Amino acid sequence: MSKSLLVISRQAPWSGPSAREALDIVLAGGAFDLPIGLLFMDDGVFQLAAHQNAKAVQQKDLSANLQALGLFGIDDVFVCRHSMAVRGLTPPTEAHPLSNDAISQLIDRYDQVITL
Amino acid sequence: MSTLHVVSHSPFSDSRLDSCLRICGAEDAILLCGDGAYGLHAPALHTKGVKVFVLAEDMQARNLPLPDWADSVDYPGFVQLSIDYDKVNTWL
Amino acid sequence: MNTLTVGARTLELDKDGYLADLNDWSAEVAHALAAAEALELTPAHWEILALLRQFYAEFQLSPATRPLIKYTALKLGPEKGNSLHLNKLFNGTPAKLAAKLAGLPRPTNCL
Repeated sequence: MSKSLLVISRQAPWSGPSAREALDIVLAGGAFDLPIGLLFMDDGVFQLAAHQNAKAVQQKDLSANLQALGLFGIDDVFVCRHSMAVRGLTPPTEAHPLSNDAISQLIDRYDQVITL
Repeated sequence: MSTLHVVSHSPFSDSRLDSCLRICGAEDAILLCGDGAYGLHAPALHTKGVKVFVLAEDMQARNLPLPDWADSVDYPGFVQLSIDYDKVNTWL
Repeated sequence: MNTLTVGARTLELDKDGYLADLNDWSAEVAHALAAAEALELTPAHWEILALLRQFYAEFQLSPATRPLIKYTALKLGPEKGNSLHLNKLFNGTPAKLAAKLAGLPRPTNCL
């Protein structure tokens, strides 16, 4: 049985390589059928914003990539409710919103955690 | 299940420690290293009731006093903590 | 630098033989890329190449094998969306070879 991995992605999409790296870990793990969860928190929740335009900053389209999570077998996608609320955002349909306590329990359920 | 959270950024210029405290479980602990050691000056840290460790050399380098609510560890101590807790979550 | 000559055009390839520019792709280019792999393109191949380009347009990345199978099953049904069918068409490495012939970048999440 493979070890399960939770990736916590907490950087904004266009500010540096972290958001991209977190997604790459998740997609690579999914391609190998590893049990993987993905949690967006802090500025990472901005990755989920609709109608972003990667071309404007000459970058690869991270938000389009995120739509492929299901096809890569990643169904456990979560978002921190607190991080959404303090930014005045409402949780998107593609991620399950979690309270702080629920995030604490989520981390408990996985064998390993990577926070980027 | 317990997690050792490793934080190496100052809480006064960065949100990592705040976020870590927000989702820290009762069994968890926080290890401060690098500029994370400045967390010893953060009042929020000990009011939360989470176990706090600080890497001794980073604390000494910054001449930070060790409060009674924190423990200092050397590198072998850091390794021991990594083993004692079920997993390590490094806030990169 | 790797290049591919198609008619009067010389196209730039990356070190693994993938088109450097997605926009250079055409049916003629696909034929030339396939010839370089000693592969003859049939309608069954074209169907998958079209699907891959659709995948790329939608998600902006080249799929690894699993998602390619899943997507094919979703769009063309399970009798085509399975590893046997795709492996047979693309010499056992469908994600890598089909992406190459479709003019897409090498799948990054695929060893």
